[in-house]
Amino acid sequence: MEPSKQIPKLAHKFFKWYCRGDRYEELHGDIEEFFYDRIEEKGLRKAQWLYLMDVLRGCQSYAWKNNNGQFHSKFNHLIMLKNYFKTSLRSMMRNPLSSFINIFGLSMSIGICLVVYAFMDYQYSIDQHHEHKNEVYLVTFYVDKEGETLQYGKSPVMLAETLKLDYPQISKTSRVEDRNVVVKYKNKVFHEEVRYVDPEFLEMFTFPLKWGEPSSLQGLNNIIISAEMSEKYFADVNPIGYDLMLKFGDDIKKTFTITGVAEPFPDAHQISFDFLINFSNFGYTHPEIDFKDWYKLVDATFVQIENPTDVALIHAGMDKYRDLVNSTNNDWEMLSFQFEQLATLFDRSQYISESITYNYDEAGRITLPILGLFMLVLGCFNYINIAIVSASKRLKEIGVRKSIGASKMATVIQFLSENILVTSFALLVGIFLAVSLFLPWFIGISQMRLSLNFGDENLWLFVIALTLITGVISGLYPAFYISKFQTVHIFKGVVKFGQKNLLTKVFLCVQLMLASILIISAVTFTQNTDFQTTRDWGYDQHNVLYLKLPDVSAFPEFKDLLAQNPNILSLAGSAHHLGHQVDYDIIQTPERRYEVRLMSVEPEYFETMKLRLLEGTTFNAHYESDKRMVLVNESFINNLNITDAVGHTFKVDSIKYEITGVIQDFHIYSFYDKIRPTYFTLADTDKLSYISMRVKPGSSYDTYNALREEWATFFPETPFLGGHQADVWGADYYEMEANQGDFVRAVALIAVLLATMGFYGLVTLNVSGRVREFSIRKVLGAGLKNIAGIITKQYLALLMVAILIGIPTGFFLVESLLNLLYEYPMPMNHSIWLLSVVILVSILFLVVLTQVKKLAKSNPVEGLKVE
Amino acid sequence: MERLHLGEFEELVLLTVGVLYEDAYAVAITKEISHQSKRSVNVSAVHKSLYRLEEKGMLKSHLGEAEAKRGGKRKRLFSITPVGKKALDDSMELRTKLRNQIPDMAFNWKIS
Repeated sequence: MEPSKQIPKLAHKFFKWYCRGDRYEELHGDIEEFFYDRIEEKGLRKAQWLYLMDVLRGCQSYAWKNNNGQFHSKFNHLIMLKNYFKTSLRSMMRNPLSSFINIFGLSMSIGICLVVYAFMDYQYSIDQHHEHKNEVYLVTFYVDKEGETLQYGKSPVMLAETLKLDYPQISKTSRVEDRNVVVKYKNKVFHEEVRYVDPEFLEMFTFPLKWGEPSSLQGLNNIIISAEMSEKYFADVNPIGYDLMLKFGDDIKKTFTITGVAEPFPDAHQISFDFLINFSNFGYTHPEIDFKDWYKLVDATFVQIENPTDVALIHAGMDKYRDLVNSTNNDWEMLSFQFEQLATLFDRSQYISESITYNYDEAGRITLPILGLFMLVLGCFNYINIAIVSASKRLKEIGVRKSIGASKMATVIQFLSENILVTSFALLVGIFLAVSLFLPWFIGISQMRLSLNFGDENLWLFVIALTLITGVISGLYPAFYISKFQTVHIFKGVVKFGQKNLLTKVFLCVQLMLASILIISAVTFTQNTDFQTTRDWGYDQHNVLYLKLPDVSAFPEFKDLLAQNPNILSLAGSAHHLGHQVDYDIIQTPERRYEVRLMSVEPEYFETMKLRLLEGTTFNAHYESDKRMVLVNESFINNLNITDAVGHTFKVDSIKYEITGVIQDFHIYSFYDKIRPTYFTLADTDKLSYISMRVKPGSSYDTYNALREEWATFFPETPFLGGHQADVWGADYYEMEANQGDFVRAVALIAVLLATMGFYGLVTLNVSGRVREFSIRKVLGAGLKNIAGIITKQYLALLMVAILIGIPTGFFLVESLLNLLYEYPMPMNHSIWLLSVVILVSILFLVVLTQVKKLAKSNPVEGLKVE
Repeated sequence: MERLHLGEFEELVLLTVGVLYEDAYAVAITKEISHQSKRSVNVSAVHKSLYRLEEKGMLKSHLGEAEAKRGGKRKRLFSITPVGKKALDDSMELRTKLRNQIPDMAFNWKIS
C-alpha cells in the first residue's frame, strides 16, 4: 500500500533512497504510525514537520544500504576517496620529513598571505564607511611650482560659500580647518587639535553619534567630541551638557558646551576628529584672517554633488574662481581646480600635497602583495618538487592501481585530492599561525589596527580561493606527471625520474633566486637601520632641550629665569624651530621664482644648535644693521646658482637681503623630508616663542624636569610644551626604523627557511634514492670529500644560475625600494651582495653537509641491502 | 568471554522489550520509555539500539501482522534471548554489588 498523501513527498523519497530495502517496511511503518498519531494529537502541520525530522534523524547506519547491497555502486567515488584519503595519510606518515616540509612550508605561506590580506583589506577600507563617499568631493588645485605641476589639497576660504550660491547642484559644502588649542576641563588641561567645520560636515560624512544631536553643530557655542576624547576627559560619564574651555591663543578663550559624542571611529579611517566646532568660530578666534580674501586658504573644502553628471559641469566653471585667486596673489600661479572623490581620496592622497588624508603606506601596498606571492611560490614549489621526487617511492602503488583498472583521470584525481588534503591541513595551521603569531607581530611593528574578521565573506572567499589555487597549482603538475607513466614500464623498472627532472631544477633555481632577493633585502635593511640611526642631522640634536611659550610676551622674563640654571650652557630664542616650525617665502630673481624656507632666530641659535658655519659670519648680537643680513644653507646657494655667496644679495618682497654666511645643509624634519633652500634672518624680539637650550652632557633629563617645574609656576593654565630636541621627529622615529629592519629580516628568514627546507627535502630524497650508489662508492674507497663533491656538483650549476640572476635582481629591486622610501637613501655597497652570497652559500653547504655526515656514519652494507 | 557491554540507553530498551513482552516493537517501546522515564525519546534512537542489540544476540525478532494504522505495513516484534537476560542480570548484579559496597558513612551528610 502506498503511503498516505499527507506524508511529505520529498522526505518520503529521501527515506526510500537511503533506507535498505529489507528494513523499509518495518522502519517506515514505525514512522508512519507516529505520523498518524501526531495528526490527531498535534495537527497535520506539526506532524509533517516531525515526520521530516524523523526521516532526517533516521538517516543512520542501521537504516543504510548494506555493504553488499546497492550501496557500493552508488557511492563508489566516495569509497575511493576514502581510500585515497587513507593512502595519503599513510604516505604522509611514512615520510614525516617531506610531509612536515610540505605542510609547514604551505602553512607559512598561507599565514603570510592572510596577513597581507588583512593589510590590503585595511588599506582599501580606509574612509570607505561614509554613506556619501561617492557624492562627496574634496576641492584641490594644481599649481605650477618651479616648472613642476603639483596638486594641493587646500582651497580658498571663499570657495565653499561662493560655490554653493553659484551652483544649486551642490547640495552641501563644508570647510575644514585644524588648529592647535589648549582644552581645559576642571583640572584636566591638554594640548589638542580642534577641527573647525561647517554644520553640514556631519551630514556629508558618516560619523554616527553615541550621544547628542549632529544638528547641534549649528550652535556657535557647541562642541562635538570623539569617543576617544570623551573617554580621556570624562571616562565613562555621558558628558552632554558639560562645558569645555578652549584656549586658542595668547588671550583668546571660549567656553563650549558639549552637545555630541561620536561613536568610536572604524579602525580603517583617515578622516576623523577630536573636537568639532562651527566654522564661524574661526573668525572670532583668528580675527587677523580676512575671509573675503581669495588668496587665503583653508585646510580643506568638501562639496557634495548628488548627480555625478554635474561634476564635469561645475568643474568647467571653476576657471573664474581660479582667475580670482590668481588676481590677488603673485606668489604662485593656480593652474586649475580638481575635484577628488571621497571614495578614492585616500588612494590618491600620495599625489596631493597638504591633503587632509595622507598615505603613509604606499611602499607597503606595493611590496606586501609581492612578498605574499613570493612566499606562496616558495611554498608551492617546495610541494611540487617534493611531490615529484617522492613519487618515485610510490611508483609501485600507482602501477598496481593502474593495472587493476584505475584510469589516468582516476590517478590525477587521487593526487589532486591528496593535495587538497595537504593544503586544507596547511590552511588550518596557516590560519592558526596568522592569527596567533604573524598578525599580532605585524600589528606590533606597523601600529596598524589590522584584524582578520572571520565573519567577513570576502575573507572566506579569499581563503577558499587560496586553498584551491594553492592546492591545484601545486598538485596539478605532479598529478599529471605521475599519472602518465606506463604501467608496464613502472614494473619493469624502466621509469627513472626525480633527479633529472628539468622542472624540478627550474623550480629549485627560482626558489634560490627568491631567497637571494630576500636575503639581499634583509642585509640592506639591516645596514639601512644602522645608517639612518647614525646619520648626521646637520646639527647636534643631543643635549638640547626646547620649549614653546604660549605667550610671546613672557619671553624675556622666562629667558632670564632659565639663564640662572647652571646646567644650561647656552640658550637662544627663535620664532621658528628646527623640527617644529618653519616659514615659507618666495624669492624673485630676474629669471624665476624660488620657494624657500625661512627661519627667524636670535644670533645665539647657531651656537646652541651647533649648526655648522661653512663660510662668512653669523649675526652680531642684535644689531639693527643685521636686520638685512641673512645666513643661508648650502642648498640655497646651489639651487640659486650663487657663486661667491658671502656678500651676494637677493630680494624678498622688494626688501634687499645680503648673505653674510653659509650654513652646512641640515635636516629640519625627518630624513623622509627633502632639504630645501633655507635662509635665516634675525628675529624680531616680539616674535620669539621658542627657546632652545644646550645643556651640560648628561644633565638633559634633570634640566627637563626643572623646566617643567618652572613652567608649571609660570603658566599654570597651559600644559608643558617642549621636549628633547632628539625627539622632535617623533619619539618613536628610530623605533619605526628599527621595526622596518625587523620586518624585512623576519620575512627574509621565513623565505630562507622555506627555500632551505625545500632544498633539504630535495637533497635528502636524492641521497636516499642513490644510497646504493653511494654505498658502492664507499666500499670501493670513495672518501667523504668525493661523495660531498658528487652531491654538490649536481646543484652547483643551479646555485650559480640562481645567484647570478637573483643577486643582481635583488640588488636592483632593493635599491629602487630604498629610493622610493627615502629622500636620502643609503648608498648601496659591495658588502651587501657579498654578505648575501656568503649567507646563501653557507646555508646550502650546511644542508649538504648534514646529508654527507649521515652517509659517513651509515654502514655501506646496510645501504646495499636497501631494496 | 568478554563481558557483554550494555549502554545506558540500550539497557533501557532491553528492559522495556522485556516489559512489553508480546507487543515489543519500536513505537511501543519509544512510548513506554518516554512515559516511564519522563524523557523525550526519538524513535530513531530506539531503532538504532534495537538493531544493535539484535546484532549482539541479546534480542531476536520476527515480523508481525500488517496493520492499517501503520499504512498497511508489518511491524518487527522483538523478544529477549537468554544472552539478553544474562546481560541484564550481569548489569543488575554489578550495580547491586557496587551499591551495597557503599559505606553508610558516605550517605551520612552533616551540615558543616
